[in-house]
Amino acid sequence: MSMREVFEQNPDRRYIMFGGKGGLGKTTFSAATAYWLAKQGKKVLVFSVDPQASLSDIFKQDIFGKGPVEIMPNLFAQEIDADRRIKDYQEEIRQKIRDMYGMTEIPEEIENYIQAAAAEPAMEESAIFDEVVDIVGSANYDYYIYDLVPLGHALYYLSMASVYDQWIDKITGLRTEMEEYAKVAAVMQRDKESEEDQILKELQFIKHRINVSSGILTDKLKTAFFFVVVPEEMIILDTKKAAGLFAKFDVPLAGYIVNRVIPPELAGQNIPVYLRNRMEMQTRYLKEIDQVFSGEVLARIPEFERDITGLPMIERMAQVMFGGL
Amino acid sequence: MADKKEKKRGMLDGFKSVLYGMAGHDMARYALKTRGSMEHLFILITMGDLLGIPILPPYYSLRLLPYVVPQISTWKRRMLREKDLTDALA
Repeated sequence: MSMREVFEQNPDRRYIMFGGKGGLGKTTFSAATAYWLAKQGKKVLVFSVDPQASLSDIFKQDIFGKGPVEIMPNLFAQEIDADRRIKDYQEEIRQKIRDMYGMTEIPEEIENYIQAAAAEPAMEESAIFDEVVDIVGSANYDYYIYDLVPLGHALYYLSMASVYDQWIDKITGLRTEMEEYAKVAAVMQRDKESEEDQILKELQFIKHRINVSSGILTDKLKTAFFFVVVPEEMIILDTKKAAGLFAKFDVPLAGYIVNRVIPPELAGQNIPVYLRNRMEMQTRYLKEIDQVFSGEVLARIPEFERDITGLPMIERMAQVMFGGL
Repeated sequence: MADKKEKKRGMLDGFKSVLYGMAGHDMARYALKTRGSMEHLFILITMGDLLGIPILPPYYSLRLLPYVVPQISTWKRRMLREKDLTDALA
């Protein structure tokens, strides 16, 4: 099957993700896929969940923290500014406290907690995670393309969703039990209805948001996850391992794309031994990739003579990936 | 006639109060005490960082912070007074 067929045969797959180790071409493929889909008349948003995002670089346009930016007709790109989101969020919490208790100043102890919480390492990932819910929840686009973080982070991201989910289930249970005790006391003291539990409502809201996000990541009908590999031993080993872990989290794997393949036609030319050796090595690993991921390799993308930045280069890449526009 | 009815209801209310005092009050007190303990347990598992016990990723725990602001100081006192954290559950 080819990339084009995967998209044509599964029109319901609206959430497209490219995963793989750092520097293998996830952003390039995300951008090229977005370009191709936009040319097909689909409205596409490609967005980065990586704190060190590189969409700005590939589109040669500063889009960081600017919301969805129109790159060309139908194609929008977005880089999330996690720091700003955290700051806005902290302020939102402070304002809520001020409003709820008519305070003019936040008590020191509480303020310290707000500050300390924002410094936690998990904060940035969580903030991005939360913004993704806003992005995909907006339903303004035909396709959402996730420019994912390198594998390790992506796995963390996925496991975080399931840990969060279980954690929220537990405390929602505790909270519900607390409600019951309050109700019992209220009935015995013949009070009217006990107050509605705001915290329980808040927990259910959080649970909903987490479910939206992790639900998409594991939705076989709506999501396509592509692994990017290159013909090198280490990468093949790591990808095998990661694919196993992703399968454990029920992420629907759509197939593998092999990047950085030295064009085979070079073999007939007068090339240095160095290059010939590398080509031999690649041939060996390409065979291995075809065996290990048998039937799931969708495309072999050649190494380009220059880096892929700017729309004309992205167009060339899209042509190679999807075979004509 | 209306007077009699009123009196009857007054007696009934009095009787209900006595009955509540004899049987219900303790149970209600127990239910409220249990709920109070659970409230503290709840704050512990969501806001544990305040005592130096990081328990959950903090992004969503901040969402809950405004609701527990009034309890924070009594909760901290209680947590530090208990000999053992599990006493708080009793």
